[in-house]
Amino acid sequence: MSTALAKLTTIDRRWIFLLIGLGTLIPILIPIGFPVTITPPVQSIYDKIETLGENDVVVLSYDYGPTTAAENEPMADAIIRHCFLRKVKVVALALYPLGGLTAVNGSVTRVSAEFPGLQYGVDYVNLGYKDGGQASMKLLAEDFSKAFPGDTNGTPLSTLPLMQKVTGARNAQLAVSIATGVIGEWWANLINAQYGLPVAVGCTAVSAPKYYAYLEAGQMLGLIGGLKGASEYEQLLLNGYPQTKTIYSNPMLQTASKGMDVQTIDHLIIIGFIVLGNIAYFAGRRAKQA
Amino acid sequence: MAGYEVFGTWVAALLTLCLMSFLYKDNPFFRFAEALFAGVSLGYYIGITLDQTLRPNLFIPLAEQGVTGDTAHLRFAGLVGLNLYTRYIPKIAWFARSSLALYVGYYVGINMVQKLQGEVLPQAAATMVDLSGDGNVMSAFNSFVMLVGVITVLMYFFFSVEHKGGFGKASRIGIWFLMLGFGAAFGYTVMGRVSLLIGRFNFIVIQWIGGTLQSLGFGG
Repeated sequence: MSTALAKLTTIDRRWIFLLIGLGTLIPILIPIGFPVTITPPVQSIYDKIETLGENDVVVLSYDYGPTTAAENEPMADAIIRHCFLRKVKVVALALYPLGGLTAVNGSVTRVSAEFPGLQYGVDYVNLGYKDGGQASMKLLAEDFSKAFPGDTNGTPLSTLPLMQKVTGARNAQLAVSIATGVIGEWWANLINAQYGLPVAVGCTAVSAPKYYAYLEAGQMLGLIGGLKGASEYEQLLLNGYPQTKTIYSNPMLQTASKGMDVQTIDHLIIIGFIVLGNIAYFAGRRAKQA
Repeated sequence: MAGYEVFGTWVAALLTLCLMSFLYKDNPFFRFAEALFAGVSLGYYIGITLDQTLRPNLFIPLAEQGVTGDTAHLRFAGLVGLNLYTRYIPKIAWFARSSLALYVGYYVGINMVQKLQGEVLPQAAATMVDLSGDGNVMSAFNSFVMLVGVITVLMYFFFSVEHKGGFGKASRIGIWFLMLGFGAAFGYTVMGRVSLLIGRFNFIVIQWIGGTLQSLGFGG
């Protein structure tokens, strides 16, 4: 028995890849619909946007690229959708070089198409991408037009009515950074620290543990951690705005909620292999001693 | 989907399959896709920096306003940037260092304030918690755990005293806190990687197969 178990340590890892592949594919084709529970860090971002109205401005920074779009895109779409549902004005921009521009253009175009009553330049603006990291961030906090002379199409900011209402990011009511890596931290330790602007971050799961330190210190008002956090936000929208059901039930739309069944199944497979691997290791050691 | 969208989706799907083929074993399709990604990323970065930053923030203002006092800062910044390329001329390559020095100096300055004001001080303040928990038992317990965790982890990283006796035992507790932290980080990492896999599978099933079938007139 011990020898048979010990053989598990030499199993070809491609069998594990195959099982994970099947554990991913089958729930996508046949959704199970595991329930999503809401956690306080996600709830607090939703609650903050619920307090905002049509005279308020949210700065939404797309600080991610295609390598993490699977996690970040659903949360970015959910946040801008929530703002549009509440008619909160949105200034969208991107500070991540490798794909931030594609992310902001894609999300703003995709979600604004759901709200034909909203007008570009009046209800929302897409400033596009700016290089320079913290230097650009500091400039746009003071005055958007210093960092972004025009929007993503080159239209001067002075001709956009929304940009007359808000000089810099510090005049907004909330900044949300949907981030991979370090840029979300800058919003907390530069913009929140120096201007006191409430900051919320939607980050990849890999980055979530370090962002909890900012959340615990009160430097961020909320945190959407990975695909799980994004699915929580989608659930909050579905609960609060039943009209979004038609959007989230679209089979052609990639949503975070659809991925949560896969997360559960894949995690069970991984936990199973960790337990089996440990049993096999100790069985092998016992066999050697015998 | 429009014709060009179908073509783009097929290219993306085939490149995804090329990259996933590495799971079976290393092969030329994987290497081709990897090299293509590296090249396209660099090209993309150069392209958007030119289009979204240099053109609106440097070229257009200089062209419109010309050589005036108002554009002096732009000309200075432009020259500092151009100066970086002198490294390709061996005789004056040393000159590029002055631009690098300026660049490093600026970011050291901005980072110093940012790290102290935005990270060190608020993070340190957040560890100075009320141990009474305002009468809430759970809150008091959490504060106590935070206090023990911070002190023992700091003791683990204090190397001027030999880790034995009472100090050694406390630093061992610090290791447990670190291990719990690493475990949480690893758990999140697994979730993150699975999410990326879900993203690719969703793309293949929904956009590639579903989209192609839809464009051929099958299904809604």
